Amino acid sequence: MIRQIQYHKPINRSIAPAIQSIDKINFIAPEKIILQNGVCLFWKSGIQNQTSKIELHFEAGSSIDDPLTAGLCAGLLINGSSTKNAKQIQKALDSVGSYYDVSLNQDTAVVTIYALNNQLLKAYRIFHEHLFDAIFPQKEIDNLVQERKQKFKLQEQKVSFLAQRLFQQKLMDQSSYGRLIEFEDYKRANRDKIRAYHSQYFLNGLHKVFLIGDIKQIELNDLIGLLNAYKQSTLQRENFTWKAQKGVQHLVKKDAVQSALRIGRPLFNKTHPDFIAFSILNTILGDYFGSRLMSNIREDKGFTYGIGSHILENRQFGYLVIGSEVGINNREATISEIQIEFKRLQNQLVGKEELDLVKNFLLGQLLKSADGPYAMLDLYANVEVHDLDLNFYEKYIAEIKSIKPEKLRELAIEYLNWQDMLIISAG
Amino acid sequence: MIINFEQFTLGNGLRVIFHKEPSTPMAVVNVLYDVGARDENENKTGFAHLFEHLMFGGSINIGDFDSPLQEAGGQSNAFTSNDITNYYNILPAHNIDTALWLESDRMLSLAFTPKSLEVQRQVVIEEFKQRYLNQPYGDAWLQLRPLAYRKHPYRWATIGKKIQHIKDASMDDVRTFFKKYYHPANAILCIVGNFELETIKQKVDYYFGDIPAQKKSTRKIAKEPKQKKFRSKRIIRNVPTDAFYYAFAMGSRLDPQYYLADLLSDHIGNEKTGILYSELKIKKKLVNEIGAYITGSIDNGLLIITGKLNPRINFEHLDGALWDVLEKYTSRPITQPALKELKLKMQTAKAFQDQGLLNRAMNLSYFELLSKANMINEESTNYMRIQALDLHHFAKGILRKNNCSLLQIQAKR
Repeated sequence: MIRQIQYHKPINRSIAPAIQSIDKINFIAPEKIILQNGVCLFWKSGIQNQTSKIELHFEAGSSIDDPLTAGLCAGLLINGSSTKNAKQIQKALDSVGSYYDVSLNQDTAVVTIYALNNQLLKAYRIFHEHLFDAIFPQKEIDNLVQERKQKFKLQEQKVSFLAQRLFQQKLMDQSSYGRLIEFEDYKRANRDKIRAYHSQYFLNGLHKVFLIGDIKQIELNDLIGLLNAYKQSTLQRENFTWKAQKGVQHLVKKDAVQSALRIGRPLFNKTHPDFIAFSILNTILGDYFGSRLMSNIREDKGFTYGIGSHILENRQFGYLVIGSEVGINNREATISEIQIEFKRLQNQLVGKEELDLVKNFLLGQLLKSADGPYAMLDLYANVEVHDLDLNFYEKYIAEIKSIKPEKLRELAIEYLNWQDMLIISAG
Repeated sequence: MIINFEQFTLGNGLRVIFHKEPSTPMAVVNVLYDVGARDENENKTGFAHLFEHLMFGGSINIGDFDSPLQEAGGQSNAFTSNDITNYYNILPAHNIDTALWLESDRMLSLAFTPKSLEVQRQVVIEEFKQRYLNQPYGDAWLQLRPLAYRKHPYRWATIGKKIQHIKDASMDDVRTFFKKYYHPANAILCIVGNFELETIKQKVDYYFGDIPAQKKSTRKIAKEPKQKKFRSKRIIRNVPTDAFYYAFAMGSRLDPQYYLADLLSDHIGNEKTGILYSELKIKKKLVNEIGAYITGSIDNGLLIITGKLNPRINFEHLDGALWDVLEKYTSRPITQPALKELKLKMQTAKAFQDQGLLNRAMNLSYFELLSKANMINEESTNYMRIQALDLHHFAKGILRKNNCSLLQIQAKR
């Protein structure tokens, strides 16, 4: 029974309006089309406006082979073919009003094309033609290397970049995930390697396609015909094993007025049975504006503009990382306050009021994440990548609703031990 | 896509816009206050932004802004620009009352606790360091603004001229600021969601109707005199590469030339296809990166050409070549196909922008402040009717040396 709000004046402002919690969220899977080459195309239609987008996921991420070659290849995919140079290809994409983007994570390279729905097939055709005919002109390689070198020099001036790199190297030590590009690496940029990478991991490495937009059936058929030109990725990766380092390390950067912090440990991704419960604990700790870390370190002490705790995932594993930038003089105090917050979660049960708030907050955020076709497709992709389905979110809702403070304390005792943490600071 | 909306005004002067979106289970409650850094006293800068932080520190009847909203499944944030302060809440539609209750209480009055002021001063000082001092080129705009503006308060950034101004903010300043700018007639409320107009009217009247009316203060801002001479400044910083910022004076947001400036900056500044990129990066190899954009402020704005030099290239090389390129560019009009492309890209971008509920709410509020909310539906036409010759004349008028302020940031060697 829901209490109706009575709008009797004068208003008593000290009483909060009644709120309703969320019981059900409609999760709608996209249409799944299996192409002749085995690749799955996920299509979401019924958009009610003219926008459309195609995302191609290639198993060509930075941890798969050589990170330098992966980065350069992804950046140069449509920078020259036997018929057009980089500028002419971009011109062609402009002529249909489309936007092109490529991003690279540890597992995947994702090419995204945005366009109005009556232009998307044309835009994709342009991309397709020049991707398959890519010649990677040496001067384009030199140009990109020069660009990346300067960006690297720029990044090196940022304490957040320095801390993040060191954190990743130490946490993912002795694995291809912890192998990062060094400045000197740019010397060994090699056209043959880039060409081989393009063939092996792009033309023969298509993993999945996500399509969104109201596209005519005949255009969809054409698109499918084009996508069949790729070979599906058959990449088999070695099982990842943790050899993470622990302990404290500080990197000095002269003249810095703030220090960047990265504190974390190996964890797991959505496939682990503790994932959902731990993500509730993580929210309480540091993943929303009212979190313990924000309340203590920003809103009570004023040490920082922001502090957050996140579970980052890839296909094989996940890890916990707490990040912040704090005044140099408050670095030690901040680290010890984070430690205090860990201990509180291990020693005291989370109170009902706080837990109820976090439960409602998480459900509200999930409702928002499922709102609209674009958000819904992303939500779907986030579980599909782990071979899970939308049932994951039903479990998520059920677990949020039923979680007990005792379970959260158990998880804190198991996963939030200070001696297990890698503690990096730079600045 | 046409965005339909309804409008009404409460007795106390609060302007309300309601945009019905039947497809969403969420609601957006956006409150725009007509106050920004341009309204600050030049000896107390950074205040509008500091004040935005204080708006989350509890209001007259409610101890904390965020907790009740989070409990209702929602989230909130805000931003301050040189022109406006905008607060937004996104929450499940069935709990919209919570957002209206919170926003109306902080419009009525703040709690004004000394602790909140003390902590937020510290937080903003850390923000100042994180974004402006501890980043390479972070202080570029702190330097460029006073060069490009001589009289107008755009000569300081929203974060403020210096940390000391934030340190000096007193409780009296806070109270005075609130009284002057935080009242119904100085605000625009926009609601997006699957509601009936009558329901919205009832709710808004209930929560906001009894907030006392106050007269909107008239703005007395020094007009920026027309620039007559080229200005330049060079500073040395601990940065990896030399960087340059050419700032050309342009008109206000309501000047019809705004749309010309926007298209022009896209045309010359686009990566790969723009003339700056192809001439100065690809052909002459002077720069590592280069681009162009406009600031889009309500009062007179700036068209910026910015980039970073390649190693062993000096500012003089670039400067000569850049003015040559601009002269070449302004010597002939854009071709018809190129203009068509620019417009089509603009349409695509606009379609994607209009898709987001929050974007719609913010834009409706912002356009209402500028002149009328329906500008949201007229923007496309304003771009589509641009002719090649309009753009040509405009480019010739604006891309002149005596209309330009140049900041150069030289790397310490």
